[in-house]
Amino acid sequence: MYRYDTLDQTLVAERVAQFRDQTQRFLAGTLSEDEFRPLRLRNGLYIQKHAPMLRVAVPYGLLSTRQLRMLAHLARKYDRNYGHFTTRQNIQYNWPALKDVPDMLADLATVEMHAIQTSGNCIRNVTADHFAGIAPDEIDDPRPYCEIIRQWSTLHPEFNYLPRKFKIAVTGSPADRAASEVHDIGLHMRRGPDGQVGFEVLVGGGLGRTPIIGKVIREFLPREHLLSYLEAILRIYNQEGRRDNMYKARIKILVKAKGEQAFRDAVEQEWALIRDSALRLDTAEIDRVRAFFAPLPYEPLADIDATAGREAAYVAWYRHNTRAHKMPGYRAVVVSLKAPDIAPGDITADQMDALADLADRVSSGQVRTTHDQNLILGEVRQQDLYETWQGLTTLGLATPNIGTLTDMICCPGLDFCSLANAGSIGIAKQINDRFSDIDYLYDLGPLEIKMSGCMNACGHHHVGHIGILGVDKHGEEWYQITIGGSASGTSSLGTVIGPSVGKADVADTIAKLLDVYVSQRREAETFLDTVRRIGVEPFRERVYAASH
Amino acid sequence: MRQVIKGRQVVGDDWIYAEKDCAPTGGRTVLPLADFLAARAAGVADAASLGVKLLPADDEAALEPYLADLPLVAVEFPSTGEGRGYTQARLLRERHGYRGELRAIGAVRVDQIWFLARCGFDVFDLAGGEDPAVAIAQLERFSVVYQPGPDGLTQPRRRYGA
Repeated sequence: MYRYDTLDQTLVAERVAQFRDQTQRFLAGTLSEDEFRPLRLRNGLYIQKHAPMLRVAVPYGLLSTRQLRMLAHLARKYDRNYGHFTTRQNIQYNWPALKDVPDMLADLATVEMHAIQTSGNCIRNVTADHFAGIAPDEIDDPRPYCEIIRQWSTLHPEFNYLPRKFKIAVTGSPADRAASEVHDIGLHMRRGPDGQVGFEVLVGGGLGRTPIIGKVIREFLPREHLLSYLEAILRIYNQEGRRDNMYKARIKILVKAKGEQAFRDAVEQEWALIRDSALRLDTAEIDRVRAFFAPLPYEPLADIDATAGREAAYVAWYRHNTRAHKMPGYRAVVVSLKAPDIAPGDITADQMDALADLADRVSSGQVRTTHDQNLILGEVRQQDLYETWQGLTTLGLATPNIGTLTDMICCPGLDFCSLANAGSIGIAKQINDRFSDIDYLYDLGPLEIKMSGCMNACGHHHVGHIGILGVDKHGEEWYQITIGGSASGTSSLGTVIGPSVGKADVADTIAKLLDVYVSQRREAETFLDTVRRIGVEPFRERVYAASH
Repeated sequence: MRQVIKGRQVVGDDWIYAEKDCAPTGGRTVLPLADFLAARAAGVADAASLGVKLLPADDEAALEPYLADLPLVAVEFPSTGEGRGYTQARLLRERHGYRGELRAIGAVRVDQIWFLARCGFDVFDLAGGEDPAVAIAQLERFSVVYQPGPDGLTQPRRRYGA
């Protein structure tokens, strides 16, 4: 993985010193709350319902075990012994004291981490396919380019006061596991006619109040032009994006208002003027960064039958929580942060430490964070899978539910977030209680439930096979249900099935939707397939007919 | 007299910021873009006494014919969150080759100074209540950067185009 050189380390250290100075000026009363807000946000620090919340960047979801241990240390020393992994591969701490945050950042800097631009109207942490570098279907590893983007976007002087936040995702596989089509910019790696890699460029995707699938504005961008092209897009957005209404300020609104073709023309025109500037990447720099992501020294192994003679519980875990690896003899293991009794994405300090030890023993000394709030051990030898399962089981991290209904995406909701209209963690609990029969979940097959406590859509509800959106009706928590959304490959936005349902009725409503699916599905058809084939109406009828 | 930061020093400044529709005064005057363009089109005797103010929606390219003898461009930041001025500054410096004074005015707070300087601003007229000493300290905040830029700071280490 990427290692900081003196430049990177110096920059992060100087940023910590800057934030310490800003925090001291705020605590001394020199900076008002209004003046401090944009400064602390640019360092991932929100003021939430109970306490500040610090969001730490995990660039493109890659952590060394040393870094994971530091995250455990932060949870123990400054928080309440746990952290929460987010849908953008970051980690959040919900209970730090403001005065401690500069020390937390200083601790992070010792392991080459930071919280720079994890919030605020600037370019956020760049995300990637969580199977990058190990996926069998990959064209090339996107992470070197993510790192190059991370550096370019860090403290970018021109783009730190954008109209609104700006998110970039990169994927190197045809299968989109990075939700790239619902990002401000999505980059899909492609091979050009000369065999060299480049990018298909999508712009203007996003969720929130106005969910939109991104539009392809360039079919192939040679890799040496990556930064100049991004700079051209950001410059057009910075100049022309709306600043009068924060709900219409994302780039998707600009692309829509200006028109796809006009937007593309503006970008291309700007790009023509800067494409051969100092931003043009030379091969030496690309190779320098790529070298950090060179394939690990894999042992020459053959695939084995890793389940032969093993007990059913292990076999179920193997089937649901492990994934194919590009190298024979290896598999990727998904570490479930979706145990029935915890908030999706939460992990304790002790679990983090023990997982780091396990990763050092059975995998590569690296851990990945996923968009669906789980973790991955990316390089497990098939012969070590059983031991891995045993280790994870002891830690409570082996719930065999990856890809099933209870592998939910869930924002922190009303319990923690000051923006939320309704709770989401309690609903996750209700769903877990209702659907506790794992064999039923397996029979249902792949099913993504995504839940957000408000229109900001941190839980990506628009692209859930079943989406749940918390709404406030006269001070009560209600939930709007959508079906048919997806963010992988053929992206689609879910359709609202009807009026929102009461807090107590969410799991019942989902049960009715599943009844329709089970009775209507054809052989091997997933829930999403069935919704796409028969439409929303049969589901709507079933949910609302029953109440009359 | 107004105090501004220039070359890491606090200096007195006698430029007059004129409101809309003002004719050039006797002293050195900064006019809104439309008035400036009208005045220059009409032919002014002393170009060196006439500066221009850009608002966020103004097109800096309109200044192109005058940049050679334009003494001052003041870019206004109506609020701290307004970010168009950063682009205007870079384009003036990098695309249009402007070498005169580039001044940030309006809601200019100490913590923006670093970014502004990196975009090519060389004079800062701070918002009321901002401490110039703290502002000047911010200019020393970082010794390294990732992006190329037109800043007149000491040559920081850069990743690209070093």
